[in-house]
Amino acid sequence: MKILSMLLMLILLSSNANAIAYCSLRDPVSQIAKLYPQKTNQLSIVKAVDDNARAQVQTALPSNDLHFSELGQHTLYIAMLGKQSLGYVHVRSEQSDWGLVEIVWAIDKDLRISNFTFQRCRSPKNMKIAQSSDFKGIYIGKNYQELKALLSNDGVTANKYVLDKVQNAPELANVVLRCALKTLLLTEILWGEELNKL
Amino acid sequence: MMKPLLFKSCIGYLLLFLASMSMTCDANFSQNLRWSLDGSFRLNLNEALDNTSRIYALGLDTHKVFTYPSGDIGYGVGQVYYTKLSNHIPVPFLFTSKDDSDFIIREAHLNYTAGPHWLPNIRIGHFTLPFGLEESIDTNGRLLDYYHGKNLGSKLDWGLSLNKVINHLEYNVSYTLGGKDKAKSVDGSYAVTGRVGSLSHLDFVFGLSAFNGEIDGVTRKRIAVDWQYYYATWGILGELAIGENNNQLQGWQEEKYSLVELNKTTINNQLKLYSQFVFRDSESNESADKLLNIGFSYQVNNQFELSMSGGMQLNTPASGKKKQLARVQLRYRY
Repeated sequence: MKILSMLLMLILLSSNANAIAYCSLRDPVSQIAKLYPQKTNQLSIVKAVDDNARAQVQTALPSNDLHFSELGQHTLYIAMLGKQSLGYVHVRSEQSDWGLVEIVWAIDKDLRISNFTFQRCRSPKNMKIAQSSDFKGIYIGKNYQELKALLSNDGVTANKYVLDKVQNAPELANVVLRCALKTLLLTEILWGEELNKL
Repeated sequence: MMKPLLFKSCIGYLLLFLASMSMTCDANFSQNLRWSLDGSFRLNLNEALDNTSRIYALGLDTHKVFTYPSGDIGYGVGQVYYTKLSNHIPVPFLFTSKDDSDFIIREAHLNYTAGPHWLPNIRIGHFTLPFGLEESIDTNGRLLDYYHGKNLGSKLDWGLSLNKVINHLEYNVSYTLGGKDKAKSVDGSYAVTGRVGSLSHLDFVFGLSAFNGEIDGVTRKRIAVDWQYYYATWGILGELAIGENNNQLQGWQEEKYSLVELNKTTINNQLKLYSQFVFRDSESNESADKLLNIGFSYQVNNQFELSMSGGMQLNTPASGKKKQLARVQLRYRY
């Protein structure tokens, strides 16, 4: 009984630790190199995605939530060419019909999506579509407000304009859009202050 | 074996790295620091030995990225656990009795990553030997097992490794001292281990590994292939290792090991189910061991994980007692 009460207390007091052991953390080295081929190094900034950040996401994007693995300590990478910053890299996960999708986002200094690639997609069909320039063009060059305008009224799916463009992959379009919005929002909320100092 | 001069050069290089970190890193050590308290309780029901045992572990798991203003220098991982056995047999090598307890260092290493394009990253410390599936799927602290330690004589060892992700390949080659938990060579022990593979985040991963070492008085040589394929929420993966062991009593004996795993996760990644078929054959044994394992892990939230596994031997060994082991683990990370 004592053990059970202690266990319950721990669960109630739980903070946002990472579920996985830290020895298994891997930086997305090859994806950063793909997104910024000229980079010479990367600068990591680790921040905690906590319940407060989660609440801000829920307020800004109603009907949306963060997957539990998105809480805890996460890294934003600054791609560096010598001492010059080229842009940012932020990896985020989003749940899809075919499992978790992990997208590696390249973000420019004005917090616009400049490119993206996948760390995990596990759907060859969707992966092929996602790599096409037509599909990428929907998101690239847009900031948070411009991407938010692509949401339909339900707040979780893409609007008709987007879905008409990707008739064969509506779920992919929805997943990438939600992920892009949360990524830009969290980048601004958690890393914005430090990025402004650069 | 790595030449002593090269080994010393690498150590010197790492010392320079440590010196540069202490001079240039941010004064605030907590910056870019991850830490978690990691507690677990494991219950083991061993039918073959007619024994029930428990393992309690409480530890600190840390990860720190060291940076210059212009980029990362490298990162360190440190994991120390107070571990208590209760009626656990056979007694693991780290302990002296079935009810023993001790502080255990799991991973503890620094990896220097700031070298130029052509220079490998350099890791020094206590780390998992880079071989087979374990190189891309970490099983430390989990019930999931790829028999890494049984195959090589130790799962972790003290030493250094050269590693890098380059274009479409990643490699990791290590020279370690063969002392397992001791940061020294014991009676001439050593281990050279390496794996080269395709990028481990892809849906299809293929790797080649090799091992040559002497640990606990047994010389082992191994070559292995490992592969993983993922489609949506399904995964199928395997490892095949062949080689030979040499100990003073039996001389060189051929060894074979293979594992095939089929796994399935839910779309939110909370529940993972797996089944494994393991085949182990040694020239010194009368018959090959065939094991069937099934298990699951359920991540209740970011902190709390419940996992269970059951394993049974399919063949009848010479002793007549088939291995049958059921395990339950509760793990909490704070």
